[in-house]
Amino acid sequence: MNLFEFCYGIIHWLVDLVNHLWYWLGDVLPWWFGDFFDAVGDFAASQGHLSVMTIFLEVVIVVIIALINVLNFIWIFRKFMGRMFDFYGPYYVGYGIGGWLQNLADGIKLFVKEIIVPAKADKMGYLLAPIIYIGSSILILATIPFSENFGVSTNESGTYVPAGALFALAAFAIAPFSILLAGWASNNKYTLIGGMRSAAQMMSYEIPLLMTVASVFLLAGSFGFVDIVDAQHDIWFAIPLFIGFLIFLVCLAAEVEIIPFDLPEAEAELVEGWTTEYGGMRFGLFYFTTTIRSYAGGALATALFLGGWHGPALIPDEIWFLIKAYIVYTVFQWMTWSLPRVRVDQMLGIGWKRLLPLAVINLMIAVALKSMGWF
Amino acid sequence: MAQAKKKSSLGFVLQPMKRTGKTLANSLFLGKPNTVLYPYQKLDLPIGYRGKHIVDFKRCIGCSNCVQICPNDCMWMEKLEDPELGKIERPGVDYGRCLFCGFCVEICPTVAIHESVEFELAHRERSRLKYGPKELRDDSFAGKVKEERQKRLLPILDMSKCTSCEKCAGECPEMAIAMMPIENVGRKKPEINLNKCTSCKKCEAVCPESALKLEEVYESYFEMPEPKLLIKSCTGCSACSKACPADAIYMMEMPGTEKVLKDGKKGKPKKRAVFVLEKCVGCGKCFRTCKFEAIEWPGVRK
Amino acid sequence: MWINMGPQHPMTHGLWNLRVKVDGETIVDAQPEVGYLHRGIEKLCEGKTYPQIIPLADRLCYGSSLTWSHLYCMAVEDLMKVEVPERAEYIRVLTIEMQRIVSHLMWLAAYAGDLGLGVGFVYTMREREVFLDLFQSLTGARITYNFPRIGGVAHDLPQNFERDTLRAITFFEGRLKEYEDLFEGSKIFMMRNVGVGILKKEDAINLGVTGPSLRASGVTYDLRKDLPYSVYEEMDFRVATHKDCDCYARYRVRMDEMWESCQIMKQALKKMPEGKWRIVAPRNAPVGTGLARVEDPRGEGMIYIVGDGSDKPYRVKIRSPIFVTVSAAPKMLIGYKLADVVAIMGGLDMCIGETDR
Repeated sequence: MNLFEFCYGIIHWLVDLVNHLWYWLGDVLPWWFGDFFDAVGDFAASQGHLSVMTIFLEVVIVVIIALINVLNFIWIFRKFMGRMFDFYGPYYVGYGIGGWLQNLADGIKLFVKEIIVPAKADKMGYLLAPIIYIGSSILILATIPFSENFGVSTNESGTYVPAGALFALAAFAIAPFSILLAGWASNNKYTLIGGMRSAAQMMSYEIPLLMTVASVFLLAGSFGFVDIVDAQHDIWFAIPLFIGFLIFLVCLAAEVEIIPFDLPEAEAELVEGWTTEYGGMRFGLFYFTTTIRSYAGGALATALFLGGWHGPALIPDEIWFLIKAYIVYTVFQWMTWSLPRVRVDQMLGIGWKRLLPLAVINLMIAVALKSMGWF
Repeated sequence: MAQAKKKSSLGFVLQPMKRTGKTLANSLFLGKPNTVLYPYQKLDLPIGYRGKHIVDFKRCIGCSNCVQICPNDCMWMEKLEDPELGKIERPGVDYGRCLFCGFCVEICPTVAIHESVEFELAHRERSRLKYGPKELRDDSFAGKVKEERQKRLLPILDMSKCTSCEKCAGECPEMAIAMMPIENVGRKKPEINLNKCTSCKKCEAVCPESALKLEEVYESYFEMPEPKLLIKSCTGCSACSKACPADAIYMMEMPGTEKVLKDGKKGKPKKRAVFVLEKCVGCGKCFRTCKFEAIEWPGVRK
Repeated sequence: MWINMGPQHPMTHGLWNLRVKVDGETIVDAQPEVGYLHRGIEKLCEGKTYPQIIPLADRLCYGSSLTWSHLYCMAVEDLMKVEVPERAEYIRVLTIEMQRIVSHLMWLAAYAGDLGLGVGFVYTMREREVFLDLFQSLTGARITYNFPRIGGVAHDLPQNFERDTLRAITFFEGRLKEYEDLFEGSKIFMMRNVGVGILKKEDAINLGVTGPSLRASGVTYDLRKDLPYSVYEEMDFRVATHKDCDCYARYRVRMDEMWESCQIMKQALKKMPEGKWRIVAPRNAPVGTGLARVEDPRGEGMIYIVGDGSDKPYRVKIRSPIFVTVSAAPKMLIGYKLADVVAIMGGLDMCIGETDR
């Protein structure tokens, strides 16, 4: 049984339950009123409504599980950073479980803080930017399946639609717009430079990223996560496309703005970059969203290059997928804290002069592999 | 000389990651992190740490030297009534202003004030940062801390018993005692050269009135200013003698100043202050107490 | 577009303002503004007795407080014509060199933090703690030591101090090599440093830059060698210089200086004589002047005192190295990128406490 069938069953049962009420009302009430409730019942029992509600429920389940993992990621981020810096990290909030509750405590603290809008800010853009940023990032979470049967990848009738990876990457590319919006609307020089840097960075790293992903699509012959992972049943794409894997990781580091490439929020020169003017829960949303994108990045790397949920059958597929994503994220953190930040011209130079030619070479390797008939 | 190493080709990412990985392994698997979980674990502080003050009431003589040396004026003398010691003056400290320089400890002539290792002095109310002498008191503490300053056994003169017999000056093997005449009083008093004294105790043995006694005195690294008496201005009111915390000022009768009364008898002679500078702790209380400007304090612009 | 980097900004390490005019990301003009932290220390000194100024001189620079109180004591000794016992001089040299290491470690931590290398910040601060613990056992405080006195030092070396110091030096020499792996081993660090913020030899001399920043421009000038004070004449060490004139040269000079400081500390411990560590200093200074110059971790520090015969100085003048060095900032900044500001100004080792006084 896959997630779609499970959710369909639940929705069907719920609709049947509620329809008893509608039809009873249709019997009891006078003629024009009764007809209305009969129509409501008919609509609820129709195939279209059932499918939409099913997919809605699927999305909610997948996103909630993903968000719980994002909380874990924040905890890993802090704990791992702490241990790498030779201190304890979160310890007493959630004593005994490694300080896991520190995230929630910080979230509550951010919630009760006052929301301040700068006097000369563009209010509409200022308020809209965090919404776009977190909204587009949660869209990515909904597309990534945890296993063959656990994910949102079907149409309304339950048949598989191979477009998940494409949709995820499209949603990934919305974020620079909101960052630019936040930087511009805050009416601050630091945020403006941060926003511009972010836009330049994301544009220049989007291209090599998409070209490496294109090589994966080429080898798998599909845009859907399930097909791509199935194509890696024998050998992970990270092995034939090793160059592509490295490029993908570097570009991902730039896309999720971690330290060698965290120029938009370069603390030393731009205070907090494009988030300088945001406080309270708005800043909390930005912070949380950055981790969401890190999680999405780890999951994308897992699904596209590291064989997804394939692994020895001792552990369920979903757990395999998460373990790989966690490992990718941890290695990212390790790299982050070991390196200084690059300069903006150097960053663009790496993007256009090094990564783009390498991505083309990688694409040619993929074409060669495909045309030789090995995949 | 540490020279720069050759850069390996893996230097882009892997070499720093190797370094951080070592620390990570050490703090995560092999050992413990380097930090201390502060409110629950605390570090051992060395004996010389400069924290909250502790005043030994029995040693303290209330000379207010600590109050004067304090760069921030954060100490003050408080008048107290103690069941054992009677009416006394002891210092208090305002920790809102204290900079923990330790000068008060250094200058104390009797080593009565110490700094302990207690440093958690913060409080929500500013007034609670002021610690009066009763809160600083700990009479049993003085023996437990490290005392760096050296003690010396030195003969201390009790001028009220001295008869100017000059026996001590003749007995001293080092010629450290000289009989110096006191101006206008017509007597001599033994003055001890502290650099020559070897603490042989012979002067103590020979003194018929037991006016010289050997006592332990702490060495001071601060130069003692020596008060000078202007005889003409002195009225013999004995205010300075009462104020002196070290009992170094004696009021002595001055011959030739007696008033001749009507019946031919002579009245009481006038008194003049006499300083025993070996006992002086340099606090300047006499200088400040004197209303007639009869005491001169070197180097102070008045 | 003018951008204010300061007075409250992560780059500044203290209260000062650097106004930079940028064209895109390139700097076309720069104006340093200091004076936000003016506490009037020179005036305050006139109302305090000579020993009371020692803790005040400590507060001139939080990074290397001991060098400043030592400098003040040297100036007063020059004024009062006090001879310092030899053991006290050796203890002073030992502590000053330890202070130099602590100060350079703090600089390295801030520099790593500026460049975004979080690990570098924490690791260098961790090794700084080792020396702070030594200071704590010696003087009783961690930052503002109040240790030198007019005519000596406050305390003798405590028990086991020599053993602990030698142990700490051995430990630290190993850690210096680790830093070289962590910093120079990463190519991104080299990319950020090599060829950035070039200050030519002539410019450095003309602008009055002193200390490691001058030595990184290829000038061999160190007061410890050129005008030996205390017992530096008897120490065998090399003046660290570099001819590249860029941020990497400044980094390299400071790393080499830490190494040399370790060697000086070893020699000072070896040659330390027995004897008194403090003499009784006079309370009042004669009418006259006293002058002392030392090689501070940041450059050449100087204090000039006028005495008027009382127990308080008539005038105290403090020459701060960073106040002069900061005037070279526009020369170094113009033409580089905005992100280079942190590398260039971080490489100068700013300390605003002494700059504004």
